[in-house]
Amino acid sequence: MIEAKQLSKSYGDHKALKNLDIHIQAGEIFALLGQNGAGKTTTINCFLGFVKPSAGEVLINGIPVNPDPKESKKFLAYIPETVMLYGNLSGIENLAFFSSLAGQSYSTQELRAFLSKSGLQESAHDKRVGGYSKGMRQKVGIAIALAKKAKALFLDEPTSGLDPKASNEFSEILKELAAQGTAILMATHDIFRAKEVANRIGIMKEGQMVSLMSASDISANELEQLYLKTI
Amino acid sequence: MIKYLFTDFYRSKAHSIGLLLLLVAGLVSLEIGSRFLERAERVSEKTAAHQAESIQRNVSHSTGELGLLMYYQRFGLENEVPRLAGLSIGQRDIYPSVQSVNVRNLEEQRYSTDLMNPLFQLLGNMDFSFVLIYFFPLVIVAFGFNLVSEEREGGTWSLVLSQTDSPMDFLRCKLAIRLLGVLAVLVLLLAVAVFYLDIPLDSFFWAFGVIAVAYVLFWFALVWLVVSFQLSSNLNAQILLACWVFLNLIIPAGINVVQRWAFPIPEAMTAVIENREGYHAQWDREKEPTLEHFYSKYPQYGEFQHPKDQDFSWLWYFAMQQLGDDEARKSVKEMRGKLEQRMEMASKVSWLVPTVHTQLSLNSASFSDMGNYLQYMGALEDFHEAKKGYFFPLIFEEKSVFEMDWDGFALESFRDQHPVQWIGILAPFILSVLVLLLWANRNYTKSGIYSNGK
Repeated sequence: MIEAKQLSKSYGDHKALKNLDIHIQAGEIFALLGQNGAGKTTTINCFLGFVKPSAGEVLINGIPVNPDPKESKKFLAYIPETVMLYGNLSGIENLAFFSSLAGQSYSTQELRAFLSKSGLQESAHDKRVGGYSKGMRQKVGIAIALAKKAKALFLDEPTSGLDPKASNEFSEILKELAAQGTAILMATHDIFRAKEVANRIGIMKEGQMVSLMSASDISANELEQLYLKTI
Repeated sequence: MIKYLFTDFYRSKAHSIGLLLLLVAGLVSLEIGSRFLERAERVSEKTAAHQAESIQRNVSHSTGELGLLMYYQRFGLENEVPRLAGLSIGQRDIYPSVQSVNVRNLEEQRYSTDLMNPLFQLLGNMDFSFVLIYFFPLVIVAFGFNLVSEEREGGTWSLVLSQTDSPMDFLRCKLAIRLLGVLAVLVLLLAVAVFYLDIPLDSFFWAFGVIAVAYVLFWFALVWLVVSFQLSSNLNAQILLACWVFLNLIIPAGINVVQRWAFPIPEAMTAVIENREGYHAQWDREKEPTLEHFYSKYPQYGEFQHPKDQDFSWLWYFAMQQLGDDEARKSVKEMRGKLEQRMEMASKVSWLVPTVHTQLSLNSASFSDMGNYLQYMGALEDFHEAKKGYFFPLIFEEKSVFEMDWDGFALESFRDQHPVQWIGILAPFILSVLVLLLWANRNYTKSGIYSNGK
């Protein structure tokens, strides 16, 4: 579902990604760990079509992202580290707007259902996003991803800025989506969250995948030890 | 999508205020235009009344000597002011709308009528064309300079990109909403103008409207091009403001300087001086050469002779005045020629500079350009000539003032006419907009609009 084959990206002399291979099945959650600058975000940006790979190939639902990311975009959803929205529009209007960008049209009821499911309190639905906290915006971002009903979901540090309760709810949503067959790639610093929510975990260092393991084979503490040792 | 982009645009206070400012500035300019038209009307009415009154008074004081009466009596020719000139005053606030001349020498009289408040000449009028040419682009720039960069800098771009498969449509939509807002204000102002200034809906008005819309489109195309380089908001704003200064201030000023340098006009003053000296010198000279000149110019007056025993006759006097005009003729022609050359040069350069083209076309459509002034000058000459043609034989045969019917000498008016030059008006706009759009298109295709800017 989400595939990277020998993916490389260089900026001048600097090699951000080196022959990266990732394969994520439908229904699988893959957590990408690594220090800042290890190449996690670059990897996600390659899938999203924001960054053109120097070599190798990225595929979503079997469709190559390059040279034209148009087609592959239909199958993916993305939640950035900081979800930024249109401050003059309310939460529900932002959701309706971003859904319409993806060519979808939902009734107000459906939109409210997505927002509620993402954990945004009902009283905030009709308030302008300009007054939202980071966590609230993040929830709208989740609702946008939910509404797209994508086959592949990309998350870049999605829980940074969320309180523990919201973080936990978020993990539940991810698990639910995976159960419905969504392939999820999540870049994170949160080792414990990764262990809890992911099926597989990869640790990146200097643009390469240095360890790859099944989440069930390792405890959170072991994972932390491994992480610290690896980097 | 459009609905929400629209809502987002209008909920932003800055955007609403921008449009409101345009509207208010536009309405103020209409008021200024209306006052200008009122003033022109008042001048015309007053001149007409004054002319009738002065004929009556002069005739009542007259000894019956027509030559003496015609020494004083002036007749006015009005340069008719179309209602549309209220929107684009152009040269009309510098040149008089009515000139009154007597049958004496013309050139000296030409420059000694109609006093103007020099303050207006200093500031220029904030007429509608001023608001359109200077204010509209500023608002367009303010609306469009961060079309893409605000998304990149605000962080919404990556989410937009991940949702839509056509970011270009998204951007076009954003721009179209801004364009519609500005055009709505423009159309509203023109509609108000039609009622407020009582402008007839003729081809000139439509031309005026089309020019205004084309000018707005040009600025949007320019914004679209600058945005296509995908630089930061700051840089975009700086580039666009530099364009504004360049297109609206530096180039027009540059053209002015080049015009003055290439076609200097000392002739206006020279003409007046030559004209004065032309006839003043005659007092001390032999009368024959003056009369010879007059006969050769107007053989039809050959039957009238200067009485040999007298020092003064009206025939000689007006012949001497004619000589003054004819001696100044060359300078007058040269000056007119240079004004025409200046005009021609400006209109050629304007093909490359849409702001200048807009100003010239608006003034031309509302008959307030240099061309209109030159036409009027020509008409004034014909008018002067016709008055001479009528009165000279009567003066020379010494017809009595009281034997004449003085009722038929109302204020006459000159209406400038030329068809709307649609191709000349539209071609420069189409050309520039096309170049800008194609260039922008090239930028969008080669650069990564898909990049989230990080």
